[in-house]
Amino acid sequence: MTAQTSPPVRLSVRELSVRFWMRGGRTVAAVTDVSFDVAAGECLALVGESGCGKSVLTSALLGLLPGNAQVRGSALLDGLDLIAADEATLARTVRGRRVALIPQSPAAHLTPVRTVRSQLEETVRELTGARGHQARAAAERVAERAAFPADHLDHHPHELSGGLAQRAAIALALVGDAPLLIADEPTTGLDRDLVDRTVDELRRHVDDGHGLLVITHDLAAAERVADRIAVMYAGRVVELADADDFFGSPGPRHPYSRGLLDALPERAFTPIPGMPPELDALPDGCAFAPRCPRADAACAAVPALTGASGRAVACHHAYARTPETADV
Amino acid sequence: MTTADPTNDTNPGTGAGAAWRAVGADGRRARTRRGLVPLVLVAATVLAVLVVPPLFPLDQQAVDLAAKLRPPSPEHPFGTDEMGRDLLLRSVYGLRVSLLVGVVAALVATVVGIAVGAAAGALGGTVDRLVMRAVDVFASVPHLLMGIFIVAMFRPGVWPVVASVGLTHWVSTARIVRAEVHSLRGRPYLDAAISGGASRWRVTVRHLLPGVLPQAGLAAVLMVPHAIWHESALSFLGLGIPAHQASLGTMVEAARGTLLAGAWWTTLWPGLFIVVPTLAIAGLAGAWRERINPRRRSELML
Amino acid sequence: MSEPIPAPATGPAAGPAAAPALELLDVTAGYDRRAPVLDGISLTVAAGESVGLLGPSGCGKSTLARVAALLHRPWAGAVRLAGREVRGFRHRAPRELRTSVGVVFQQPRLAADPRLTLADIVAEPLRATGRRAEIPDRLPELAASVGLGGDLLARRPHEVSDGQLQRACLARALVLRPKLLICDEMTAMLDASTTAALVAAVEDHRRAHGTALLAVGHDRVLLRRWCDRVVDFPPA
Repeated sequence: MTAQTSPPVRLSVRELSVRFWMRGGRTVAAVTDVSFDVAAGECLALVGESGCGKSVLTSALLGLLPGNAQVRGSALLDGLDLIAADEATLARTVRGRRVALIPQSPAAHLTPVRTVRSQLEETVRELTGARGHQARAAAERVAERAAFPADHLDHHPHELSGGLAQRAAIALALVGDAPLLIADEPTTGLDRDLVDRTVDELRRHVDDGHGLLVITHDLAAAERVADRIAVMYAGRVVELADADDFFGSPGPRHPYSRGLLDALPERAFTPIPGMPPELDALPDGCAFAPRCPRADAACAAVPALTGASGRAVACHHAYARTPETADV
Repeated sequence: MTTADPTNDTNPGTGAGAAWRAVGADGRRARTRRGLVPLVLVAATVLAVLVVPPLFPLDQQAVDLAAKLRPPSPEHPFGTDEMGRDLLLRSVYGLRVSLLVGVVAALVATVVGIAVGAAAGALGGTVDRLVMRAVDVFASVPHLLMGIFIVAMFRPGVWPVVASVGLTHWVSTARIVRAEVHSLRGRPYLDAAISGGASRWRVTVRHLLPGVLPQAGLAAVLMVPHAIWHESALSFLGLGIPAHQASLGTMVEAARGTLLAGAWWTTLWPGLFIVVPTLAIAGLAGAWRERINPRRRSELML
Repeated sequence: MSEPIPAPATGPAAGPAAAPALELLDVTAGYDRRAPVLDGISLTVAAGESVGLLGPSGCGKSTLARVAALLHRPWAGAVRLAGREVRGFRHRAPRELRTSVGVVFQQPRLAADPRLTLADIVAEPLRATGRRAEIPDRLPELAASVGLGGDLLARRPHEVSDGQLQRACLARALVLRPKLLICDEMTAMLDASTTAALVAAVEDHRRAHGTALLAVGHDRVLLRRWCDRVVDFPPA
């Protein structure tokens, strides 16, 4: 138990690893020894390049991994291990009720031939058992909570703008009043205004007491919504930091995180040299060393994720933390 | 431990002694087994029609009236028909004719269907509309009626039946291919090919057809049972294969009279030879459809 | 009707060398019989210039990119490439006109034939234009310039990440050395580092070959940083 007066932990992921058996005997280490917490009323953004294992992590948490996957470790959600739970438990008591997914492309997530209202009511009936008038009222309430306009409830998904479709998808995710929301790349392909509005919506639900895990490669969206940042590289979490420290001063401590920020057009706009390693052929030692300006002989050993709570980094040559933020 | 600092108990590489757990391995095994029974049946059928005729030649004209309508026995495992001919051997020969007609007719129908469908889909516009209305006209005439019309123009034999089945069944393939081509036509990779200087022909042959072939192949396989039934129906009506030649349809037709006399075996075996291989082919096609379904094909998505 | 977007100072001067890489004059375009997506739009990209076209999603800027790449026939208006009037679109456009524009699309998964290897995807325009012999020369150099190393070229799209596939799609657009490159939301699906790498690759190629650029996107910061000038779309 920690001495901090932090809010209760909703999701507690411990040393979660996922690997895939491929044809020809290859194994792909998609996620390796990932540990993090998401508390109620907190947003953790998991950022990293495409192909770093972020989406696999989401699938693992929702029990949606394909048949050739193997998992290790645990992911406790208010005491229930999502990794060990069987499919029946996940389907009946977890998905939609305790963990809700906000999908990557809301337009594809909604049934094109039915109105938003009928889809919301169906989900209400499925998750709460409410019928008739009650279901109708519940659907309208949840639409209101997601800021979905009531006069658009009888529209079909293709009649909605991208922003409204996103809100409809959020409304569907809110029906079961799940304490944990997982948003998988909620802003991909949206323009900046829509990104801002979407993440502001998400932030509102965090402030209402939901725990939120956002998987994204959009650093600007992460900065806007997240309390804490987890940077993922080649299947491992290489840095955990408070969002203010990460994007402001003193900045990220892992060289990879620095490189990611420096690649932004509002900063240096310089790419990290090289490409991320293949997850089926990870180098020995630190996976970032081949691209790292600070790498030396010490990097032949995999660095452990070490540091105080909320400020951890997995690097032998991490950038220094300034004194005033060191002992929070 | 659940509220402990996530960073202190992290020890890369050791995995805390926890074991790897598999996810959903059973489902995959069930999927491979689903195609196994039809595969064995189809293989047995093909082997039988290829191996039996050279080893046991059949004289189509020979009759042995002394041994007519014998029930199944060790000497004649399927019994004999009203002419005293061995039913097992005739059934295998009949199956050979039916399979030949089925496969060739399905190929004819598929080639015609792909050509028409691809042309309609690739050219689009007015050509597409005209071709598809012609397809509708073809589809609105009952297959059997048109099949009878076509065989009636030729002398009885195998090839008129092939032509009849092939020329009536290309319509569904043409529709499938056209729909598939249409859905591919909107893909940016075709735009990229056009922008890269590819000619119409090259876009069709290199990018459109390869994307359509799995679906068209599936349609062709699914058409084989259909063609077999069609051949049997034509022969049963006396319009297909000449009556003295062994064919599943003519055998069932000839056995109609003896069925009332209690000779159940004369219809049962040819009937089973129609039903079992066609169901097996359909089952195999179903397993194949699952394989080419892209949702199931991708095992790993990062 | 909207105001034409003013041409830059380096607009059509004298001689064919100075002709703008792209001129759209009063272009109206749409789909089927619905309301037009583009209504009287004009846009000029000078030879060697880079223009960012900035607009929210669904505003028709992708349609404009497709018209400029000769992939969508406008209902009205004129399209000129390097001073040459375009009369036909898609296959009706002469091959050398089509190949004088390279295009990169937003979603690499949809823009790459799933059956081909990355090497075949990149080399496809050379094959299609009968310049197969140049493949051994051109391919490794181009692959290196977009950062595709190792065995990546031998893989198929489903075996690589979005970022790697988009690098291949960029290489394909550059392989015929077009005079104009159109990037339609090229980096919208990509992370910051891959975005910066792809932009750097485009700029390297432009410096070496003087290619003009029309970059369509919704990220103002990115387009400002990348292009000589940024045009708001639809024009106010």
